[in-house]
Amino acid sequence: MAEQVLIVGGGDGGTILANSLDRRRFDVTVLAASLAHTFQRGFLDVALRGRRPRLVRDEGRLVGSHVRLVHDRATAIDLNAGVVATAGGARLEYDHLVIATGMTTDPSQIPGLTEVNARFGDYHTDIAQAKKLWAHLDTFNGGTIALGQSSPICKCPPSPVEGILLIDELLRAHGTRERTRLVFFTPYPRPYPAEGINDVVAPILEQRGVEVLPFFDVDKIDPEASTITSIEGDELHYDLPVVIPPFVGADIAYEPGDVVDEGRFVITDKESLRVKGSDTAFAIGDASNLPTSKAGVGAHLQAKVVAKTLAGKRATFDGRTNCSLDVGHGRATYVIGSYQAPVARAAPNRLKYVMEWLLGRFFWMSLKGTIDPVFDIYFKVTEPKAPKRQQ
Amino acid sequence: MQQTGSGRTLVDSRGSSCPGPITDLALAYRRSKRGDVIELWATDPGVKPDLQAWASKTRNEIVSIDDQGDKIVAVLKIVNR
Repeated sequence: MAEQVLIVGGGDGGTILANSLDRRRFDVTVLAASLAHTFQRGFLDVALRGRRPRLVRDEGRLVGSHVRLVHDRATAIDLNAGVVATAGGARLEYDHLVIATGMTTDPSQIPGLTEVNARFGDYHTDIAQAKKLWAHLDTFNGGTIALGQSSPICKCPPSPVEGILLIDELLRAHGTRERTRLVFFTPYPRPYPAEGINDVVAPILEQRGVEVLPFFDVDKIDPEASTITSIEGDELHYDLPVVIPPFVGADIAYEPGDVVDEGRFVITDKESLRVKGSDTAFAIGDASNLPTSKAGVGAHLQAKVVAKTLAGKRATFDGRTNCSLDVGHGRATYVIGSYQAPVARAAPNRLKYVMEWLLGRFFWMSLKGTIDPVFDIYFKVTEPKAPKRQQ
Repeated sequence: MQQTGSGRTLVDSRGSSCPGPITDLALAYRRSKRGDVIELWATDPGVKPDLQAWASKTRNEIVSIDDQGDKIVAVLKIVNR
């Protein structure tokens, strides 16, 4: 009898995993809270470039015909009993469970942020918020734009730096850059937390005249006074705030309750991807607490590791990241590292920009698995090298 | 990140290179209160200057930074929250 694999979440990780499993061996169910699969990276183009790409596809057309797709939301996962309960009243059992429930923005964690982002928008929540931000940027006529992440966890770690550089590019095109102060705030000691890439982006920010406020960990925002205050006690005035909200894992009641952390991220073994204390449950993508970037590439690679493990092969996740960083003006670089290899210095160029554009074009195919051989070659060629350990 | 007793938090950042151990520290700092102790484990040698800069900026205390070969163990005391 076929083994039952239940994948909770129909995002990138869940979809790639469902399509990677052997249909002769597994009965695959994907429990998806939404059937509108969104290319989230595209929010950047909508919010900061005013483009209107088609970012949403029907999940039913992305998963293979062997996959049973259930449109319902998980409300409780009992790992002891092996049962997932849904908002629609269903109780789903499994032999293998994969939690791929992603993460969402949660502006309520920062006083004042819900009001500010409802007015100005942001480029991490959804398409409507991205369009709202574009409307403000497109008509901005000078003053201070303050951009940064309001919490250390950020979907797509390059996106804050990309945001400020793309706004710089936009304002130069609009002829309003000279009367605009661009301020980039960050909870980290430098603009990009990983030093290899910081060595590349810090000079670009300086050259473009972007002020950087390091160690600026947002405490609260005062929409009346138009100020952002940090835990460290600094205050920043804005005319247009572009504040990346904090993120949280899905609102699911777990049994046992200690498999999620304070941010509702599932505590996951960083190599086997098994949920803490469980032999039958895995977590992949943004839903996990893995010490690596929250990005689509992580979900992709982790899905492949779980697919191999379920197929009885030996597989571990090596912490690989591969995030593009668009520095504007048609150039990009890549943030590549792993658990063993620190992020390497990589200069931006036109070729990497074209590669990023191509990856965007091939995104939907990558979910279906039709271009897996290309990805296999790409990841092998670009594999980061671990430094030799000093004795 | 786990609570290991009253007001003491263990942050295991070993193997984290991107975004890096400073991300985990920033998160622990957000959730801390005055008097708490944060013990940070890291393998990235860049964590040492980052911690010194962090303590200087946030006016918190580095109790110790100990390179144990397989990991760097830093003990930090939150005195400014």
